Amino acid sequence: MGYRFDPWLIFAVLVILGASILNLGYLDTGLVGRQLLWMALGLGVMLVASFLDGVALSRLAFPAWIAAVAALAGVLAFGTVRGGTRGWFALGGFTIQPSEFARLTVVLALAALAARVPGTRLGVKDVALLGAAAGIPVLLVLAEPDFGVAATYLPILGVVLWIGGLPRAAWVILLLCGLVGAAVAWQWVLADYQKERVLTVLDPSRDPYGAGYQVRQSKIAVGSGELVGMGFGRGGQSGLRFLPARHTDFAFAVWAEATGFVGSLALLGAYAVLLWRIARIALGVADRFGLLLSASVFAWIAFEVVVNVGMVVGWLPTTGITLPLFSYGGSSLVSTLAAIGMVQGVWRHRMVNR
Amino acid sequence: MRVREDLGPFRARVTALLVALGVVGFLLVLRLGALQVVEGPRWRRMAESNRIRQVPVLPVRGRIYDRNGLLLAGNEPAFQLLLYPVESRSMERTLTFLARLGIAPLTELRERIRSRGAPDAPRVVAGELTWNQVCAIRAHRSDHPELAVVQGFRRVYPEGPLAAHTLGYVRLPTREDLREDPNLAPGILVGASGVERRQQARLAGVPGRRLVVVDARGRELGTVEEVPAEDGSDLTLSLDLPLQRVAARALGDRAGAVVALDPGTGAVRVLYSAPSFDPNAFARGMSLAEWNRLRNDPLHPLQDRCLRGEYPPGSTIKPFMAITGLVSGVISPVTTVWCSGSVTIGGHTFRCWAHWGHGRVGLERSLEVSCDVFYYTLGQRLGIARIAPGLRLWGFGERTGLDPRAERPGLVGDPEWSRRARGRPWYPGTTISVAIGQGPLLATPIQLARAFAALARGGRLPVPHLVADAAPAGVRDLGLDEASLEPVLEGLRLVVAGPEGTARRLAPLPIVGKTGTAQVVRKREGVDMNTVARRFRHHAWFVGWAPVDHPRLVVAVLVEHGGEGAAAAAPVAGAVLREALGVTGAGPAAGNPG
Repeated sequence: MGYRFDPWLIFAVLVILGASILNLGYLDTGLVGRQLLWMALGLGVMLVASFLDGVALSRLAFPAWIAAVAALAGVLAFGTVRGGTRGWFALGGFTIQPSEFARLTVVLALAALAARVPGTRLGVKDVALLGAAAGIPVLLVLAEPDFGVAATYLPILGVVLWIGGLPRAAWVILLLCGLVGAAVAWQWVLADYQKERVLTVLDPSRDPYGAGYQVRQSKIAVGSGELVGMGFGRGGQSGLRFLPARHTDFAFAVWAEATGFVGSLALLGAYAVLLWRIARIALGVADRFGLLLSASVFAWIAFEVVVNVGMVVGWLPTTGITLPLFSYGGSSLVSTLAAIGMVQGVWRHRMVNR
Repeated sequence: MRVREDLGPFRARVTALLVALGVVGFLLVLRLGALQVVEGPRWRRMAESNRIRQVPVLPVRGRIYDRNGLLLAGNEPAFQLLLYPVESRSMERTLTFLARLGIAPLTELRERIRSRGAPDAPRVVAGELTWNQVCAIRAHRSDHPELAVVQGFRRVYPEGPLAAHTLGYVRLPTREDLREDPNLAPGILVGASGVERRQQARLAGVPGRRLVVVDARGRELGTVEEVPAEDGSDLTLSLDLPLQRVAARALGDRAGAVVALDPGTGAVRVLYSAPSFDPNAFARGMSLAEWNRLRNDPLHPLQDRCLRGEYPPGSTIKPFMAITGLVSGVISPVTTVWCSGSVTIGGHTFRCWAHWGHGRVGLERSLEVSCDVFYYTLGQRLGIARIAPGLRLWGFGERTGLDPRAERPGLVGDPEWSRRARGRPWYPGTTISVAIGQGPLLATPIQLARAFAALARGGRLPVPHLVADAAPAGVRDLGLDEASLEPVLEGLRLVVAGPEGTARRLAPLPIVGKTGTAQVVRKREGVDMNTVARRFRHHAWFVGWAPVDHPRLVVAVLVEHGGEGAAAAAPVAGAVLREALGVTGAGPAAGNPG
């Protein structure tokens, strides 16, 4: 069997990466060269990952998971602090964020664990095991503290539980737990600035120059894009110039201002193609591990896209979740491309008889 | 080999996920359409009328005090005018408006807003507005939302011209300043000279900034982010303001310089150059006419004579000549020379200032009466090859280190210099001139003060400084023994205390020192120097210290074209030393032999 990549999937990835470079270059943050380096590295990792088949991946799952937990513990001890979060290893001029890579191993570990469960329903022990496999890294990431990245682990657990099969009663219990957890978090865990962010979503005019400022500027920028956008280089009046996260969390707002509704649809269309191809793989593979793996990656990317775009249009609070493949940031880019590569590997080896 | 499992139920769950995402995606697209297409024009209008501005928050510049805690430089609030170029509808219209307000001529305004750095950074158009200008700008706010009046500071120097050269002055950054330090906030003041320039980093502080939302008329709607400024640190100088005042009063309206040092540490107590200027005029923003008047003044009030005035040292060089003679063994403490009023060397006749002749002159008396013939003879015996290094040892010909960028190095001429700088060989007669502090030998007042400080402290050359912790490497030991200094110190003591001393008018003050009268032009026989034009008159020097045995203060006084050192300069030094001894509570003059 010769090497074959899914051309639609590759096309979607390249469109998103190209748009992200265009956007970054327009913002003139001097980070384009750096991001291009990360892209080259990420595409290489994607290629390598696509050579692994399901058996190799499931064998890799547990050692990789242990290594990731060790790295997360290590970063708590030796990491460098950025914006109050101790989440990076500094290596030369670059920084590496282990929490972005640990998510990959959680995908592998959960898929491997759930694939071993007999039948189409999960037992209590299975749920506990899956919960621990996801919960330990999440707790370590929460300790950094990095709520945004920790939140991106949850859709993976949720999808594995959903596909693995939970009885209806369990969902009700989970829902109740979630509600109680949210109430507890609101009362005792969340800081005031985080509560303000949530409240401004419900009432945008609440504090337009404080907590609501970023979202307000984001909405102004997106809205001013109108149908065809203000063009790159002419959106100079927008308040986005002063947003520190304009090339990360709010990169999509910059894009929407410059290219308008047409450009926003085109970019979201590329994500739709990407997710559709991943879903097709999940539906087409012949083993449960491959299905779970592809579905987890699907959920991961879909969750980040929805939460980020939802934040940019003012529907969701600012959480620090970036737009995958599009926002600036090396670790997230490489780990997302690696995940897509693994899905490709699953697809390429689906016909192998075993 | 495993049996192929039935994945049907699992696939159904994946399909459910897909449907859920489709619904959410559809809602997001609807929301985007609503924002961008339906409400788009409204948001774009809001973008026009909701601008974000970065407003600099200026730190308070550190105050400067003298060693007694008296204020030398402080601050007063002032209105600054900022211009946000990106917000201007027509720059030509804006600048015409400002020119009509009398802020500056149009060409000058264009210069001030010339682009640098980020296009959205504000430009400082005026450092100080009058109240009328503030009102006029406020009244036209809706026409010119790009203009903003902010609170800044004006530097004030309560003592005016008294320490102008030493303190320096401040100005708004020039384009060169911004090239050197691109992080300078618009509107911050930078030191242009003196202590203000040298201590810029400490005095300036760190500017903060505010991110504000303004409406279409430039009114602030709210503050998004605020980083407070860090004020500059205050600075205490070693300068002694009362002493400086005494020096200025003693010098009167004559041009000249007074430098006083603590000989042990090199701490500068007085640094006065006259005539001076008012640094407050710079802070206010000087008119071109005012500036030209200062620059073209024939007395050069902007020149710091203490550090940059290079003068022939005249007879004040004699103690260093004598030590060079003693150290090299050319003379001994008991060597004598017969002074008949002149001496003929190499066919030229060199005259002593005392045309009647001093008779037999030994080393100590040569200093007491300042006999030129003694030093002509000594110079001839030493030769320039020994004189030049002998003088450089005491710091002549090099910058003292007080302000390396502003100081002049003076000059110790030698044959190598003559070939290089003048393109002609060194004539032996030049050596004889150098021996009495004339010819290609130039020194600044601070250099002479420093050299005498070393003399007073047994050959330890200090580095003059105004800020204690900013002094470069400390005292340089010249490695001289007491024996070669002793007769010279005794000679210098006799200058004031001896019956024939050239500065005996200062007796009975406990002062040790040397007078000097430096020729500007060769004096012709029988001309009374008091009647010739000022610019041809001699420069008058006196350099000395007090008290005699435990020197606390060294003073160098130069009176430009002042005539004789004894008459013009010595009384100024006397006044400063008397004040210093009185202020520090030292007893009055002890017994004075002779």
